[in-house]
Parts: sequence; structure tokens; C-alpha cells
Amino acid sequence: MEKTIIIQRYNPEQDQAPSAERYQVPFDHSTSVLDALLYIQQQLDPTLAFRWSCRMAICGSCGVMVNKIPKLGCKTFLRDYPAELTISALDHFPIEKDLISDMAVFLDHLQAVKPYLINDSKNTEPHRQTPAQLKKYQKFSSCINCGLCYAACPQFGLNPEFLGPAAIVTAQRYNLDSRDQGKAQRMPQLNGKNGVWACTFVGFCADVCPKHLDPAAAVNQGKVASATDMLISIFKP
Amino acid sequence: MNQPKRSDEPIWWALFSAGGVCFAVMIPGLVLTLGLLYPLGLLPEAAFSYSRVQQLLQSFWGLAGLILAGTAICLPLFHAMHRVHHGLHDLKLAKGPLTKVLCYGLASLLSIVAIAYSGIIV
Repeated sequence: MEKTIIIQRYNPEQDQAPSAERYQVPFDHSTSVLDALLYIQQQLDPTLAFRWSCRMAICGSCGVMVNKIPKLGCKTFLRDYPAELTISALDHFPIEKDLISDMAVFLDHLQAVKPYLINDSKNTEPHRQTPAQLKKYQKFSSCINCGLCYAACPQFGLNPEFLGPAAIVTAQRYNLDSRDQGKAQRMPQLNGKNGVWACTFVGFCADVCPKHLDPAAAVNQGKVASATDMLISIFKP
Repeated sequence: MNQPKRSDEPIWWALFSAGGVCFAVMIPGLVLTLGLLYPLGLLPEAAFSYSRVQQLLQSFWGLAGLILAGTAICLPLFHAMHRVHHGLHDLKLAKGPLTKVLCYGLASLLSIVAIAYSGIIV
């Protein structure tokens, strides 16, 4: 059994524009898109470039567009597609080569929200946390930074300055953590026009998230937090 | 990354949210009574006589009329114009602050007219 895989090839240093190339790939019930890409690279065309590492949806490096929907290659299976499927690099990012996109913008945005615990460094005691306190942020803590939500977000496509779903999820994850005291440092980023307010609640980020952590909900909770922050700033002397 | 300026969007978003609730709660009821039941003659004629409606809107020192104008016209207007404003951005038609001023300006203007009329009727 074989399926046709059409891959968007592009080498910015040599090609004028991306072009499509077709490959015949054998498959069975367990063949993932990543397996198919590895088969092509090892058996048919060693010049094909793509990122991958863990094969088990935890490293977040094999994100590609499969039939124009952002997917993790390792978590997407050929059996679920018709005889032909099209694979291209993640939308909304510059292409480095073939299926490798340049994630620098995303990493900048992630860094801008200070994605780490900020607290009194003099306190060396363990920070105890109740199950209820853990529950507040736990659902937002499983982000693997794969960038699928950025490829899905039409607002990020229109405005690459938008912090974007994963960065806002991560900001919320730390803001809601009882061990963290860095909310005041993160809020200015969320309060800006490229923070939570650039989101129009399309919700496609939540559809494509391979960890099902609902970035759209996090961004909207961020809107409530930002509106509250504005109210407080008005009444605070 | 520089510290960005605080966005004024929470104000418009709050009006948008309030308008959405009003749209969902008030408009179906109003359409049902004023748009369907009354024209079909299913409600008693006297229930919607001018003097009776005026009396109803005057209750609570005219607050009833003001609340009706606010929840059935003003807030839904801000809700709708917020969508138009962001829709224009999505269609790449919004450049600079002009569309924002036009959208929320129109909503404000029509809101003032609605509130003024509710005052005149009352």
C-alpha cells in the first residue's frame, strides 16, 4: 500500500519560490507523517530537510502543515488521509529550508513574558503548594513550544508582533502559580496592543494544540486579568 | 523587548462583552414581542398603546426607559461596532486609528441619540 506525499520544497538561497515535489511512500496502520518523511529522506531524497527528535509528541520539533492544518508529524498518521497528502512548513514563520521554519520570533515572544518562576531568591525553603493551588495553573503547564498555535493563529499571521497563544498561555501558567511573584513584571506585555488584546478569539489555536491545553481559554482569562489590571491602575493612587 | 504602552482595548472589550450579553438576553425577547407577537395580533392591542408604554418606561423615575435604550440599543451597538472594527482589521482594511474612531464614534453618536430620545419620550 502506498500513498502520495506532496512536499513543499524551498531553499531560500537557491530557489526563487517554493515548489511541490511528489513522493510515493509505503505505509501501514502505524506509519506516521514523521515516519513517511524519514522514509523519503533515507530512501528517496537525502536532500529533504525537516526537524524532528523524540517521535512521541513531547519535544515539539516536528510541527508541519498537513493539508494546510498545523500538525505534529509524529502524532499524525497516513491512515487518516486520502491517497494524497500535502506537507509544508508551518505557516506564518519564515522558511529556513523545506519543512524547517525559523522559530526565532516565537522564542523572542516567549522570552518577553519571563517564562520562569520569579520570587524572593533569599528564601531557600521549599515552596509548598496545595493540590488546589496546583490545579489553578496545571492545565496550562503542558505546553511543549511546538508553535502549532502560531501557525494556526490568523492574528499572528496578520501581525507577527502579537505575543501569540503559547507565550500568553505560559505567562498565565506562571501568573497563576502560587510560588510566583512575577505577575507585575509580566502584565505590561499582556496589557499592550500586541498582548492579549490582539486576540479576537478565533479559537483555532485550541483546535490544533497537540497537548489540548486550550490556549484560547488562557488568552481570554488573560483579557480578564488585563482588564482587572487596568481597573486597579485607575483606582490606585 | 521594550515595555509596551497599555492598550485602551479593555474599555471597548468591556462594552463589547456587556453588549453581547444584552444582545443575547434582550433582543430575542424584543423581536418576539414587538416583531412577531404584536404584528400578528396575538397580544392585546391596549398592551402597546402609546400612553401605556410611556407609563411603563417612566417607571422608576424614568430609569426603565433609560435601561431599555441602554440594553436594547446602546450596548448592542458597541458590541456590533467592535466586531465591525476587528472585522475590518481581519480584512486588512483598517489602517491607523481612523476606523476605530469611526466605529466607536458612530456607536457613541447613535447611543446619545437613543438616550436623548428615551428622555424625550419619558
